[in-house]
Amino acid sequence: MTTVKPVVVAESLEARKASRLSVLGFFMALPPMLLVICFVGAPILIAFTFSLGWTTGPNRVVSIIGQEIHKKDQWWGTFGAYKDVFHDSRFPGDLRTTLLVTLISTTLVLTMALGIGIYQRMIGGRIASIMTILTLVPLFVPVVIASWAIHTFYAGDGFMRTLMSHFGIDFPTLTSTSTAIAIGTIWTSLPFAILMVTSGLQSVPDALIETAQDAGAGFFRIIRTVLIPLALTPIVIAGTFTAIGIMGSFTIPLFLGPNQPTMLGVEISNFFGSYNRPQQSIVMAFIVFAAASGIAFIYIWANVRSAKQSGRI
Amino acid sequence: MIKKKYASVLVAAAVAGLALGASVPSSQAASKIASQTVRLYISADTNIQDLWVKSLIPAFKLAYPGYDVNVTFDLHGDHDAQATAKITAASVLHKDSGVDLIDGGFTQQLGLAGLLWHPTPGLVPNLRDVGKSVVAAGKGGIPYRASSVLLAYNSTNVKTPPKTLDELLAWIKANPGKFTYNAPNGGGSGYAFVQTVVDKYLSAKDLATLQQSVNKPLQSKWAQGLETLRSLNPYTYGKNGTYPANNAETLKDLGTGLVDMASVWSDQFASAVKAGTMPANIKITQIATPSFTGGASYLGIPSSSQNRNAARLLANWVLSPAAQNIIVSGILNGMPVIPVSKLDPAVAASLSDVDVSNLRSTYLSANANDLKSAWAAAVPGK
Repeated sequence: MTTVKPVVVAESLEARKASRLSVLGFFMALPPMLLVICFVGAPILIAFTFSLGWTTGPNRVVSIIGQEIHKKDQWWGTFGAYKDVFHDSRFPGDLRTTLLVTLISTTLVLTMALGIGIYQRMIGGRIASIMTILTLVPLFVPVVIASWAIHTFYAGDGFMRTLMSHFGIDFPTLTSTSTAIAIGTIWTSLPFAILMVTSGLQSVPDALIETAQDAGAGFFRIIRTVLIPLALTPIVIAGTFTAIGIMGSFTIPLFLGPNQPTMLGVEISNFFGSYNRPQQSIVMAFIVFAAASGIAFIYIWANVRSAKQSGRI
Repeated sequence: MIKKKYASVLVAAAVAGLALGASVPSSQAASKIASQTVRLYISADTNIQDLWVKSLIPAFKLAYPGYDVNVTFDLHGDHDAQATAKITAASVLHKDSGVDLIDGGFTQQLGLAGLLWHPTPGLVPNLRDVGKSVVAAGKGGIPYRASSVLLAYNSTNVKTPPKTLDELLAWIKANPGKFTYNAPNGGGSGYAFVQTVVDKYLSAKDLATLQQSVNKPLQSKWAQGLETLRSLNPYTYGKNGTYPANNAETLKDLGTGLVDMASVWSDQFASAVKAGTMPANIKITQIATPSFTGGASYLGIPSSSQNRNAARLLANWVLSPAAQNIIVSGILNGMPVIPVSKLDPAVAASLSDVDVSNLRSTYLSANANDLKSAWAAAVPGK
């Protein structure tokens, strides 16, 4: 009895401390939560009701000004604006361009980031460090400046064409093509992906790599069975962040892409501004939102996986 | 009420006095009366900002010493949607929108929604000098300057520029890759080319309808013109159905010699020549049947404006010959909305090569928005 009592007291003290901490934690988490609810959650909800044709209350002003507004004809609303978008001849091309550019750019970014990360991890040395530092430079160049620089580089009177014409080669004009969008998005997304992937690869212990070497594993086998599996979580996170960023990009496709088909970020802005069709632009925004949520699901899966591995859940 | 107003003036004067220091004469502090300050919202390019800030406003303050102008500038109209929403919301709720006078493309849109104070020649006397059809197209907006889209060409490579739209279309097909116009949603010069080609197939009556009112069924008649534009895809610059994003890029393509011909804004071209970015061998001309569109830019006084009388005074002054001289001769190289005979003869001489009296106006903004959308769906990349 006497031996048990102090333990109970200690436990209840611990429990009280924990509950007090959890109350404190709740209040510390409250401001960001409120901020998200008020300034992100509520506008999304209001925009969603507007896309369904709720044109009263907070949506009244925008529906006075906008063109091609569909007002709700059922108690829940109308799918008029959604039908407009899905029947628009531009939409399939825009969606295809958005998804293709996202897929291709993300794949190339991850491949390049892995290349540099593995080079630095397995071979290392001065050159590898210098290369890693150089790849981070785009991180400090604003996207607008970068897009314009790429534009003048590949334009009809740009550097590449001028240089190549000295050797009698007719270099293609890359501006106003989806290729230029991919070049631009890769350029801007690469530094972050390299940061994530290299730090992930660096955290793989030397002992594991050396053990694999001692067991007779070759260079590529170590990469395939040791490095990548152990750094999978940061690689997946880098991939999802890159993909979501590219999917929502605006400046690069605006400066470097063709007029049509373009990426949805630009088309949303066209519909909202130039064509004055706010309802349809919100519908497109929700489509991008849905696609990005799919990618976010992979991100959450990777986080849960790493939490499980480290025994947190 | 009067007492309250008086008190607020006193407070304002006291605050101004404190802010400016005791040495400032009291008359200057009293001159900053809130109701005599026009809150001007400019949504345009920097040349329009310079016109107001460097030329018109100083001259206005000289003419009316008791008045002041506060400028809010929005470059390229990037926040037109927000500004429109703010002014609309203020009008609906009978609150102050913080804007007394607007110079921007969205005035017509506000006018259509019934949110502008309607000026009459009785209240804005100088409006009598402005053409009636130009005033009517404003839907409550006050026309104050005009500009036109013209055909710019490289005179070294093109000895005889096309005189009509048909000749221009034939020239484009005969010289692949040497003509361009920017995407209509990116700038008015490209928009003017698109509307001009589309108008070629419309009757005068249909055209007038589209300039005055929203008309969906009539828009189906654009199909033929859009098909003509689509057929130009292999012949315009790039030869792949891509077009410059905005007015500036068109001017750059002309200036650097990538293209020999393009549609440009008269005032932007004149400014580029003055700035030295446009070589001297690039000339401008107007085509006929139909001519490129042009038209007036409108000032709007929101019905929610609190300093309406001050705004009205400024708008009226801008239509005076003195102000119109500044618009024509100054930084902008614009066109007047009052008869050329009322201008200073020296200033009027610079307008001789452009026919000011015969401006062909653009569609009503709602129709214009639909045309931009229709072009994007039918022409580029097809």
